[in-house]
Amino acid sequence: MNAIRRFILRTQLLTISIFIVAVLAASAHAFPRKPGQAQAAQPQAPPSPLLATMRAELDRSMPVLSHASPPAYFINYSVTQSRRVQVMGSNGALLDSSENLNRFLEVQVRVGSYELDDTHKVGGQESLQMNPGATAVPLEDDPAVLRRAIWLETDKQYRAAAEALVRIQTNKEVQVQSAEEGAPDFSHEKPKTFYGPEAAYQLDRKPWEQKVRDYTAYFRQSSDIINSIVTFTAQAENQYEVNSEGTQIQFGQVRFRLELFIQGKAPDGMDLNRYFNFDWVDSKEEPSNDAVFAAEKTMRSELEGLVKAPLVEPYAGPSMLTGRAAAVFFHEVFGHRDEGFRQKDVSEGQTFARKVGEPIMPDFISIVDDPTRLRLNKDVLLGSYPFDDEGVPSQRVVLVDKGVLKGFEMSRQPLKEFPNSNGHGRRQLGAAPDSRQGNLIVESNRKVSNAELRRLFIEEIKKQGKTFGLLFDDIAGGFTFTGRGQPQAFRVEPLVVYKVYADGRPDELVRGVNIVGTPLLSLMKIVATGDTTDVFNGYCGAESGSVPVSAAAPPMVISEMEVEKKESSTDRPPVLPPPAHDHSGDKQ
Amino acid sequence: MISATKKFVPAARTIAAVAILFSIGCAVPLRAQQWPAADADRTLNAMQDELERSRTRMQLPNVEKPYFIQYRLVDLDIRTITASFGALVSTTTAHNRLMDVGVRIGDYKLDSSNFISGGNPVGFLGSAGQVGVDGDYNSLRQDLWIATDQAYKQALDDMARKQGYLRSLSKPPEIADFSQEKPVVMVNPRVSPDWTNRNWEQEAKQATAALRAYPGLYANRITYTLIYETYYVMNTEGTRMRVSRTISAIESSIETQAPEGVPMHHFYSTYVTRPVDLPSPAEVSRQLDARAKELMALRTADPMPAYSGPVLFDARAAAAVLAQMLGPSVIGSRAPLSLLPIVDQLTERLGGRSEWSGRIGSRVLPTEASLVDDPSATDSQGRPLAGSYAVDDEGVPSQRVSIVEAGMLRNLDMSRRPGSDFAQSNGHGRNILLGEARAASSNLVFRSANGLSAADLKKKFLAACKDEGRQWCLLVREMDNPAVGISRQEELNSEFQDLAGGASSGERVPLVVYKVNVADGNEELMRPGHLLGLNLRVLRDASGFGNDPATVSYAQSQEQGIAGTALAAYGTVDNGVPSTISAPAVLFPDVEVREARGEMRRLPLVPPPPMQ
Repeated sequence: MNAIRRFILRTQLLTISIFIVAVLAASAHAFPRKPGQAQAAQPQAPPSPLLATMRAELDRSMPVLSHASPPAYFINYSVTQSRRVQVMGSNGALLDSSENLNRFLEVQVRVGSYELDDTHKVGGQESLQMNPGATAVPLEDDPAVLRRAIWLETDKQYRAAAEALVRIQTNKEVQVQSAEEGAPDFSHEKPKTFYGPEAAYQLDRKPWEQKVRDYTAYFRQSSDIINSIVTFTAQAENQYEVNSEGTQIQFGQVRFRLELFIQGKAPDGMDLNRYFNFDWVDSKEEPSNDAVFAAEKTMRSELEGLVKAPLVEPYAGPSMLTGRAAAVFFHEVFGHRDEGFRQKDVSEGQTFARKVGEPIMPDFISIVDDPTRLRLNKDVLLGSYPFDDEGVPSQRVVLVDKGVLKGFEMSRQPLKEFPNSNGHGRRQLGAAPDSRQGNLIVESNRKVSNAELRRLFIEEIKKQGKTFGLLFDDIAGGFTFTGRGQPQAFRVEPLVVYKVYADGRPDELVRGVNIVGTPLLSLMKIVATGDTTDVFNGYCGAESGSVPVSAAAPPMVISEMEVEKKESSTDRPPVLPPPAHDHSGDKQ
Repeated sequence: MISATKKFVPAARTIAAVAILFSIGCAVPLRAQQWPAADADRTLNAMQDELERSRTRMQLPNVEKPYFIQYRLVDLDIRTITASFGALVSTTTAHNRLMDVGVRIGDYKLDSSNFISGGNPVGFLGSAGQVGVDGDYNSLRQDLWIATDQAYKQALDDMARKQGYLRSLSKPPEIADFSQEKPVVMVNPRVSPDWTNRNWEQEAKQATAALRAYPGLYANRITYTLIYETYYVMNTEGTRMRVSRTISAIESSIETQAPEGVPMHHFYSTYVTRPVDLPSPAEVSRQLDARAKELMALRTADPMPAYSGPVLFDARAAAAVLAQMLGPSVIGSRAPLSLLPIVDQLTERLGGRSEWSGRIGSRVLPTEASLVDDPSATDSQGRPLAGSYAVDDEGVPSQRVSIVEAGMLRNLDMSRRPGSDFAQSNGHGRNILLGEARAASSNLVFRSANGLSAADLKKKFLAACKDEGRQWCLLVREMDNPAVGISRQEELNSEFQDLAGGASSGERVPLVVYKVNVADGNEELMRPGHLLGLNLRVLRDASGFGNDPATVSYAQSQEQGIAGTALAAYGTVDNGVPSTISAPAVLFPDVEVREARGEMRRLPLVPPPPMQ
């Protein structure tokens, strides 16, 4: 796959990327998924010899670099060993079946002091420091070769940090400062020592190769499905980390995932897709064929329904979100804005920087982010982890208590009022950690049965004198860069929306729904919630890359949401019918 | 941001003995039953049936239907092994299949191709992509169906934009867009990969283990890349092809920093077709050891001062520098039209302009010199040639092209994109991974009819130096290839930026140069500077050649913007087509050399850790 991706970049056959990236995009946009291991409960194991090698090199580097000019005050070495199996099918055939074992080294050198260092952001959101990147190191425990790689990478990172600090010191005086100016650049945290067992799994790829063929062959039965991709991944990731404050940890997590993705086109050319995923952490819990085919049947009927569905007309009025849709909605419009590092944005437009202690949503809603939690009911929570990517133990954090904003997801980048990390510094391999969500859980104490919730919804529709309300069954999230100064925009894109009529007519599927206005305001208008909680697991993309997360929420009724018709693609539907559904001639 | 990961490249040479059959009536598609039914590969059947459906019925109301549709598919088995200082860094095996559908609107004279509009791709799935590896009929038809649909719509969009652009020109180009060629039917047995004949992981480790003895080496990486590919082409002219080929490569970088801070590197690379022809680990180790010694010596060697005078290139160095000088000029296909002036400017800047286009029949080299490009040659004096292939990536049989005879320009390498001198392909349309095939050289052979022995050439060299009253002159033993020699992407990018500045004016970068004392012929290693003004005009005035040519294998980069320029000689198996060039030593009477310099970078503050 790596080779193929490079091929894409290299030849600029932009189109091919759709085939490959579509599933990733769908999952990345969508967000929350499955879990990891526990932290406190994890048994201890003997330390890996890798740690001693890393420590030996750290013990050479730190004394020298801490006396250099400018001085390094913090060094962190991390080796991530990843064993990843991927089996991918499309349209009834095997696309790819591969297994990769890698070890990557990441080195972080911070120069200056906890108060002001090379990561200091001047003039807005951008840090002068580039993403540090990751270097492939030997798969075998060869101390000499690993130490050479660490040594070289330490030098490179020190050099980059030193250059960045000089520029920061020059620029600092002339740049606009954020409200959080004066907060230190890096928090002091207690060092941790922890040696978890190595995470590993046993797996035979062969059965999965047949499964992905079968799972995608099913979709060929529908003439509305233009393309299907099913991907199975198994990943064991073990992280080894030492830093100059004394932290020395090793821990690992295993994750399994099955993703289903189909694409189609409406008669007017609008691109349509459906996506579903299963996540599990214990190989015994893999989904049965029955469960997968049931999900596929739903996806197929939804896609076929969408192809025929009318376009939505502009609407403002009562709406209802299923638990899964609500979870995505909260992740995008609340969770991202509550990430600690965003509070330093000079524009402050979309943040909660000055709202701590103030009500930001109805008093029956509370929100926590709890990466220590492995499951919610039966569902695995994908955003679980024992330590974050800055070596800080994960913590349950109350973000909103009875409608009042209490705190932020914090990495080691402090705010004035929040001087410490709460174990939410996360990153994709090669990126610098930022504060990110883990398991975002929305709780309610105004719960009614789901049947009662629907009754309340219809009542609200009638009260507002509308003939129908909108039921959002599935929403995709998305992260886009919109330009300098305002790098983040969190899209919520409704995928499956029904009209629910006040007069009792059957619900009607509509397509092309685009939420307008400020989605954040909708959170103030929650009327009531159901008494079940749905979990959505996914990979969330942002500045520090793609990380596994969960979001969980009950279904809810919102008194007002505004939508419009989204722009359609100009690409027409295919000229010819799919080969398997062409009854006019030459098909075999 | 995650470094690592290697690549692959399609290759060159059919494995099986091939029988090329020219079908007669051409555009009449063959029925599926006519394929050799010896294997379960249903790929050609699926291609055939979907191509036929598209040929007869792919048309939107009130617009043109395609005049040409081509399906290309490549089945790739790739093995990549990376090691460093005797330790295994990664080992991967991948099996993938890619397809690409080409649709042309218009006619051979003027069609939707050869135009860079800068517009966004239309459609949502695109005309290329990954397809199932099973050789399965139904899924492949589904994939080809949607890709054809997308390619057709893209061609319509391109054609509309192109016609708009042509109307704005006072004199539209007269060269046709696409050559007409005889269809080829060639269905060879598939070759399956065999990874078991050698222990490649062990070899990669063994080859680099001895480098641990050099504490002054900062970094080292070796990558073995073994590729088996089966290439399929089918088009509406009647071409139907299935050929298997292989490419095998070893690429290794060794890096350090000079005492005053300049980053330095050396490299070793070799490209052959069959894995079995790769050198033994003992041989690779020997080569790396010699380069490590050379690099250690270069660290402390005196930097070369500015110079202008005779320069002698050893055969290896001559071959490598000729690859850069000749690469853009042996191509006869014209460049695409572009709405974006930047595209032409960039090509020009990187030395991508042909110095020979439009000069057929003129003298372009010394009268004693000849130049041939021969993809049909599979070996040279028993050594396999990496640039060999039986049919090119457009399904045209490869042809030996006699480019220069007795100094006179006679022919050029052609793809199916015509140029100002020639309208037909001669089987030199090449690319990797189904990228757009473009004309490129394969196995270039440069020869002199009056080559001198090494001793005589050196004598002539020293005499020329003496005539100019010099105490010393320059000898180039090895040219640089930063793409292989620099392992870090950001450093490579900055190096390329630097090189790009001088590529068009003939600035070339040697790696190993010696100062030769005129009085006694003694040689002293120097830190090299850049050679200036080395373009084909200078080659025409070369004052002497050797008679003991060396063959150098390399990968010609197909990267967008780099392909077809002087910098294309800096490729890797990741991004380039395997090629060879053979040349004797060359004596240039007068080359200007810029003094050695480089970014002074602070040495690591911490000394290197022990290597044992």
